[in-house]
Amino acid sequence: MLKHLIAELVLSARVLLRQPGFWVPTILFPAMLYSFFGAQMADGPAGIYALASFAVYAVLGVGFYQFGVSVAQDRETPFVLWQHTLPGALWLGWAARIVVAMGVVLAAVAMVLLAGRFVGGIVPDGPETARLIAACALVSVPAVLMGIALGSAASARAAVPLSNLLFLPLAYLGGLWVPPVALPESVEALSVWTPTRAMGELAWAAVDGRALPGRYLVVLAGWSLLSVAVIGLAQSRHRRAMFG
Amino acid sequence: MLQAIEAKGLVKRFGGVTAVDGVDLQLAPGEALGLLGPNGAGKSTLLSLVTGLRPTDAGTVTIFGHPAGSDAARRAMGVTPQSAAFPPQITPRELIAYAAARHGMRPDTDRLIAAFGLQRLIDRRMAGFSGGEVRRVALALAFCGAPKLAVLDEPTTGLDSASQEAFQSLTRDYVASGGAVLLTSHHWDEIEAVCDRLTMIDRGQRVLDGTLAEMRATMRINQVSLVVDDPAPDWLPAPDADGRRHLDSADSDAVVTRLVREGVAFHDLLIRPLALKDILATLRHEA
Ligand SMILES: Nc1ncnc2c1ncn2[C@@H]1O[C@H](COP(=O)(O)OP(=O)(O)OP(=O)(O)O)[C@@H](O)[C@H]1O
Ligand SMILES: [Mg+2]
Repeated sequence: MLKHLIAELVLSARVLLRQPGFWVPTILFPAMLYSFFGAQMADGPAGIYALASFAVYAVLGVGFYQFGVSVAQDRETPFVLWQHTLPGALWLGWAARIVVAMGVVLAAVAMVLLAGRFVGGIVPDGPETARLIAACALVSVPAVLMGIALGSAASARAAVPLSNLLFLPLAYLGGLWVPPVALPESVEALSVWTPTRAMGELAWAAVDGRALPGRYLVVLAGWSLLSVAVIGLAQSRHRRAMFG
Repeated sequence: MLQAIEAKGLVKRFGGVTAVDGVDLQLAPGEALGLLGPNGAGKSTLLSLVTGLRPTDAGTVTIFGHPAGSDAARRAMGVTPQSAAFPPQITPRELIAYAAARHGMRPDTDRLIAAFGLQRLIDRRMAGFSGGEVRRVALALAFCGAPKLAVLDEPTTGLDSASQEAFQSLTRDYVASGGAVLLTSHHWDEIEAVCDRLTMIDRGQRVLDGTLAEMRATMRINQVSLVVDDPAPDWLPAPDADGRRHLDSADSDAVVTRLVREGVAFHDLLIRPLALKDILATLRHEA
């Protein structure tokens, strides 16, 4: 099984790394957004929160939008069908995709941190940086799962427009664009249930050293479980509909 | 003996189309079974039930006693799908290593390179591979887990004749060493070259099934063809556009003896055994 997992990891990583046209802009884009907006919007003590928000935004953009949703595109390929004829548990292939996606997510987060240092002049200390990276690694799991859920529930063509439709509102509702204190009250009531808010809270707690907000961990776990359930349902529906 | 494939009453529907309609199939180790039938007959669909890619609507299929699609069943077989495509960023060597790892084995790359003529291709990324090159890689992949059963959907479509012959001799060796092969083909000569048995399906139903030896034995028929100077006896069929008359007969000697005895003036006599294609057409007609 370990052999199988390694083989999946190597295959996914090779396919990805040999497409620099895909991964280079992917990991640079959140840092660019931060440089244009995040670094300008907040300075002083608020600056570090903006940095954390854009780090989460990077997780979302890469994990949810790029990786998760792309599942919709390549689930119907002859290659995937051939892979299904090989022995071994199918979920290992999924696990490998998630791990590789996390690698790119963390590279994008690192770019945001670099932009924080050189563009925003925000330099978190060692423990803050470590906690922020750990928080980003943690929230990348629900981000990728949600993306895969959307990608497998929607048709191959609908997945991208649908995620466009969800992506920005989710970022806004979660307080990644404007801090939660600036959200209107009605929006705030909704905000606390969004996965993006939970991701943000985790990242903000990481940079200001607050205790890990338990309620948001539960919210994230809930979204993750929901995503796994949707993926499971969608997969069995595909097997019936597409494979017959 | 445990059958490589044991399928009973397989049914698969797509909406209103019944692609596979109550097919039975048996394949023993050390045997090659050819699946024939026109486009849309249900061959690929039948293979997808055997490989476990699709669930059956009715009927059962086991691979060496394990339900199709189960891990044990997948472990025992190698598959070449009708349409194969691979990520363009990957080389055949990497794919072979991947497939071998999924089988929990070391890749036997050198053997596969030699068997499928991959020398010049093995370390090239697959972007831009020609149709036949992709096909050879897809075939090599079917054999890289040391399978006891190979399921090959139109294995030689797009292959040049040298590669076709190489594939046929490799398949014969594989079967001789105890492997089981289920293949589909539109090439009669290929089925003749590698298969012991054939099953013909049409519109999802099995219309003919038997060993090639049996079929030839029951149909020891020759085709007699000749040009006759007028007047021809009325027991001979009418001439074709080239003026030749063709006659199928189980006893071609008797035909010639009769021609001579009746003093018919003929020339350009040609006697040849009926091709598998014609045998099948006749058998199907009788069935
Ligand atoms: N996914 C599908 N959805 C709907 N109909 C399908 C599907 N797959 C196959 N069919 C139909 O089922 C029938 C059998 O198709 P199949 O691919 O098994 O034929 P085949 O014998 O392999 O033909 P060919 O020689 O062209 O490869 C056809 O009528 C086809 O249109
Ligand atoms: Mg077919």
